Amino acid sequence: MTVVTGVTCPVCGTFCDDIELVVKDNVITDVRKACAMGAAKFLNYAAHRNLKPLVRKNGELVETSMDEVVERAAKILADANYPILYGWSNTSCEAIRVGLELAEEVGGVIDNTSTVCHGPSILSVQDVGIASCTLGQLRHRADLIFYWASNPWSAHPRHIERYTTFSEGRFQKSAWKGYLSSLRGVLSIKRLQRAANLVLRRDVFAAPKIERRLPYTMFQKKRKMVVVDVRKTRTAEAADYFLQVEPNKDYELLQAFRMLIRDEELDVDEVAGVPVEILEEVADVMVGCELGVFFFGVGLTMSEGKLRNVDAALSLTRDLNQRTKFLIMPMRGHFNVTGANVVFTWQTGYPYAIDFSHGYPRYNPGETSVIDILCRDEADAGLIVASDPVAHFPRMAAQNLVKNPLIAIDPEVTPTTLMADVVFPSAFVGIEAEGTAYRMDHVPLPLKKIVGPPKTCLPDEEILQRILHKVRKLRGSQN
Amino acid sequence: MDIAIKDGKIVRKVEEKRAEVVDASGMIVMPGGVDIHCHIAGAEVNSGRLLRPEDHVKDVEAKTALTRSGVGYSIPSTFTTGYRYSRMGYTTVMNPSMPPLEARHTHEELDDTPMVDKATYPLLGDWWFVLEHLRDGLIEECAAHVAWMMSATKGYAIKIVNPGGLEAWGFGRNVESLDDPVPYFNITPREILRGLCKVNKLLNLPHTIHVHTNNLGKPGNYLTALETMKRVEDLAEGNQPAIHITHCQFSAFKGSDWRTMSSGAEEIAKYVNHHNHVTLDMGQVIFTDTTTMTADGPFQYGLYNLTGNKWVNHDVETETSSGIVPFRYKRKSAVHATQWSIGLELALLIKDPWKIYMTTDHPNGGPFTAYPKIIAWLMSQVARKKTLSKISKRARQRSLLPSIDRELSFYEVAVVTRAGQAKALGLKQKGHLGVGADADVAVYNVNPEQVDPSKKYKTVRKAFKRAAYTIKGGEIVVKDGQIVRPVFGKTFWIDVKTSLPMEVNADLKRKFREYWTVEYENYPIPNRFLHVPAPIPVKAEV
Amino acid sequence: MPVEAECISPDVFAEKSADEIAMLQIWEGNRKRTLSDLFKIKHGAGSSSEKFTIRICGDVSKVRKIGAKMSMGSIIVEGDAGMHLGEEMNGGVVTVTGNADSWTGSMMKNGTIKVKGNAGDYIGASYRGSTQGMSGGEIIIHGDAGYEVGCFMRKGLIKVYGDVGRFAGIHMRNGTIFIQGNSEGRAGAQMIDGKVVVCGHIPSVLPTFIIDDTRPKVKVNGEEVEGPFYLFIGDLAEEGSGKLFVSKAKNQHLSFYEKYL
Repeated sequence: MTVVTGVTCPVCGTFCDDIELVVKDNVITDVRKACAMGAAKFLNYAAHRNLKPLVRKNGELVETSMDEVVERAAKILADANYPILYGWSNTSCEAIRVGLELAEEVGGVIDNTSTVCHGPSILSVQDVGIASCTLGQLRHRADLIFYWASNPWSAHPRHIERYTTFSEGRFQKSAWKGYLSSLRGVLSIKRLQRAANLVLRRDVFAAPKIERRLPYTMFQKKRKMVVVDVRKTRTAEAADYFLQVEPNKDYELLQAFRMLIRDEELDVDEVAGVPVEILEEVADVMVGCELGVFFFGVGLTMSEGKLRNVDAALSLTRDLNQRTKFLIMPMRGHFNVTGANVVFTWQTGYPYAIDFSHGYPRYNPGETSVIDILCRDEADAGLIVASDPVAHFPRMAAQNLVKNPLIAIDPEVTPTTLMADVVFPSAFVGIEAEGTAYRMDHVPLPLKKIVGPPKTCLPDEEILQRILHKVRKLRGSQN
Repeated sequence: MDIAIKDGKIVRKVEEKRAEVVDASGMIVMPGGVDIHCHIAGAEVNSGRLLRPEDHVKDVEAKTALTRSGVGYSIPSTFTTGYRYSRMGYTTVMNPSMPPLEARHTHEELDDTPMVDKATYPLLGDWWFVLEHLRDGLIEECAAHVAWMMSATKGYAIKIVNPGGLEAWGFGRNVESLDDPVPYFNITPREILRGLCKVNKLLNLPHTIHVHTNNLGKPGNYLTALETMKRVEDLAEGNQPAIHITHCQFSAFKGSDWRTMSSGAEEIAKYVNHHNHVTLDMGQVIFTDTTTMTADGPFQYGLYNLTGNKWVNHDVETETSSGIVPFRYKRKSAVHATQWSIGLELALLIKDPWKIYMTTDHPNGGPFTAYPKIIAWLMSQVARKKTLSKISKRARQRSLLPSIDRELSFYEVAVVTRAGQAKALGLKQKGHLGVGADADVAVYNVNPEQVDPSKKYKTVRKAFKRAAYTIKGGEIVVKDGQIVRPVFGKTFWIDVKTSLPMEVNADLKRKFREYWTVEYENYPIPNRFLHVPAPIPVKAEV
Repeated sequence: MPVEAECISPDVFAEKSADEIAMLQIWEGNRKRTLSDLFKIKHGAGSSSEKFTIRICGDVSKVRKIGAKMSMGSIIVEGDAGMHLGEEMNGGVVTVTGNADSWTGSMMKNGTIKVKGNAGDYIGASYRGSTQGMSGGEIIIHGDAGYEVGCFMRKGLIKVYGDVGRFAGIHMRNGTIFIQGNSEGRAGAQMIDGKVVVCGHIPSVLPTFIIDDTRPKVKVNGEEVEGPFYLFIGDLAEEGSGKLFVSKAKNQHLSFYEKYL
């Protein structure tokens, strides 16, 4: 039995690298320090896995040899006139590099999961830039933390304790104790409420109404957390202040803040369902902090306005730097999606949605992004690596994806592998295969190989190398 | 005169019958180009690439049977970067700004940069361990920690950018002078410079400290540049350089504001002509639309305020910062034209070509593909006059160039584009064609005996743009400006051997979680991570 | 499969024979093909270069970059046209009897594009990351248009007789956008200068615009359009001084702004 320390968790963009695993006989038996998602992955990753290479014959998926799947996959890609290569966020940078080489070789479109997640954020960064940092800067210095349209309590469970409100920094102390005491207060009020409702047999206390004034904790010299969201999430319950915004009105709110922080007045009385007096106080708090940060999530990128919501948030952050130090960071969700963006960019100049069909990289999301290509039914083959589009894509896109020859490289059985024509069983990166991946703030970290994979499961990097090699051979004989 | 190459090295002679012969008659043969300062890999560079799709779309390179596809213009993708350098006869390039926490990223990109040997400099001027040790006067402790860092990040030299200013930028502030104390750390930029200069000596690093001065880009900052050089004069040993001031043009402004801004090149040249402890590189400006990117966070924010262009900022915990802003240098702008003049003035007024090297601080002053243009300016007064006639009248009137008739010879060009840079870097096998040197050779199609570069500067420019031959490690990789054989170079790094490595490891291990948000064991880069590592062992005095 | 046919332009066709035109290269997915692979080419009666007309019949909704960079002559598409129609064009006229797609007239410098049907998103817009949108010429859409019409526009005129999606005029530097129908909202967002006219309904005006005046009419490209209109100035978040005209009659819900006049 061994204890492996300093393990990097391959689940979300928080990228905790302090996980400890207990390994016995090539099986992970215990996980320490990880959140529920991390623990689930380390303990149950092998629950639904693919162990054999598969091809579809007469409508059924049958087991076959590695050589045959490589041959089939290479042929599909070499023959295709507009193949798409999608996924990439659940695998290592080393594998992604091979993927790009393969996409270039077959003249296809390569895209990663940013296209359904923070792609709009990237588009806005390309228009207005971004004032950001690494997470440690915030742990050391940030005294005002906004989670806007993001719910780390559920999606990035250790984020708050490792990097923000409940972490210890050189210049800022953790706000954990303050939170605990206020939590005790809140819980006892809740108990009284429940008791009152039972006794009086009706709901005595209505839904939480908007607090007319900011709580006094927002003006204390300590770490403060503010949540802006359309509903009161668990994170909002732990926050010093919760600002409820009308759904799909974040753009108006962010733009309004840009004027308020310059001490300019608005003509209107409320924005996004929030009275302007409250917004003015929040603006004062923003301007008065030592170092503030906006974390934002898919609530901005995927609600009405999409990239322009992020545009407004980035512009607000930039404008705030005239008055104080303010930074912003997108809460990247998926494991190595940041790494996919980083590798794509250094090799091609563009972060996602790259079209190699003319022999050089071309970029135009909306035109070269995979969902749009699929909805317009323009692709004629697909290679999916480390992702599950059949489960997650809009129905039209998934339909058009599966009706063409489809290759899937995945360690697990997923809706995508079940619909594929060629399936490669692969090793789990970060558990059975090593590599490099990037945290949400672009810090690269090594992934360890903790246990050995089953013999038939190769790392993605190697599978892709074999396919690439075969494609080159086929094309060489064609020329 | 013939040059013999065998097994990647220059040798005294080879058996001619069995050798491949390259007929370079009528052409000029130089060692492969060495670029001491160009931002080509890492977090900062990549953020710049991401920021500017509109810059890439106008300059594309299609895939060929031998080469990968890519894009330019001011921040080319990695493959394109390597190919373009090689096509100009360059064989060694130095990436000057690496945030240590993200060193892995820099090396991943360098590994994807073909054709050239490379190395990179970790940013250490604002590292908390440096600030604390120097504040407490613990030079040897500091040196031991810097040695650890050099090994952990696989770095080559100590890079210092706006010392103290980057830590101040953590809270949005800056330092204004060499004696301005860094908030919360009770140390001044002067102490940081002197401390790291001493550390550099103790560690016997092949290059000197590589310094981007305080107050960069501010009118009147030539005084800061002079101060910076003076402050370490007493630390120099014999005639050896003790400091390298990089992209000096940006630190050579006279005047008190943009209206009165003028060139401080004369004063700086005068100082450098009389002191041997300094080397510089130009940081030449080209009139084009390029991208500025430096570790100088506050300066980059200032550029955003000046231009209103999109701005990227990236502060790195415990260590450093960075900023990116697209920038267009306009011929008719008095300030930009003066900047153009300053770079050339520095190169021409400093008499010894071994002290000042040609760079554009790519991409800050312009893309490195503009090097042939600069060579033409350096070699031909006519070429300079032609550009002078098109620039802002005010800048032309103030420029010293009309009064300078010095023109660099081919030999001097070889020094400022390769030999001098290699020497400053301490790369003993680069920058010369003597026996034992690496077989990195560039052959340019211009006959120094027939062509007068002063008049035929266009021929010179064309020749340097597309090398007739580039030989890398003894193999012909470029012919007539085309890649004929893709290769991957080595990554040099300094393997400093100190006497107390265990103690340093223990100290860092203890404090690691307090300072950084990653684990101690995940920070250092193992040697096997680099595709072709080339450690240079060095024994330190500590 | 997407087809790219940048060669379909009077500038390219003008001095060529029918055979030469047939051999012009186009892309179909990742394959190089010739025009004759996908089109039947007939050479009509000769005409001078400036009046050179290309008539396209059939479904070219998948053909991109028709008329890109052209500077003279005319193109008539009898059917639907694909993306990037007339991109970066510098002169001449493009007419589409059916619908046009996204990025129609993007980065246009001069010339005229007329679409009888609907058009997609990013009409007259810039390329990603660039602030150089349309800088001249006219785009006229008789049907509806999509999102972010005139994004980063610098000069020129865009007229939409139908409705537009959100963010018409976003990041506009100058120029005029005239919308006869309704706007889905957020018109003039982040504009710095220029003119956006909405003759139909708009659900709200951004909080960073202030009401300046009511005007009985507004001039669009020399022609007068009957109001009355509310005139808003913005986008103040960008310290902009653009003008947003919104029909009074169709937007009674905005009458509360009148108290600020």
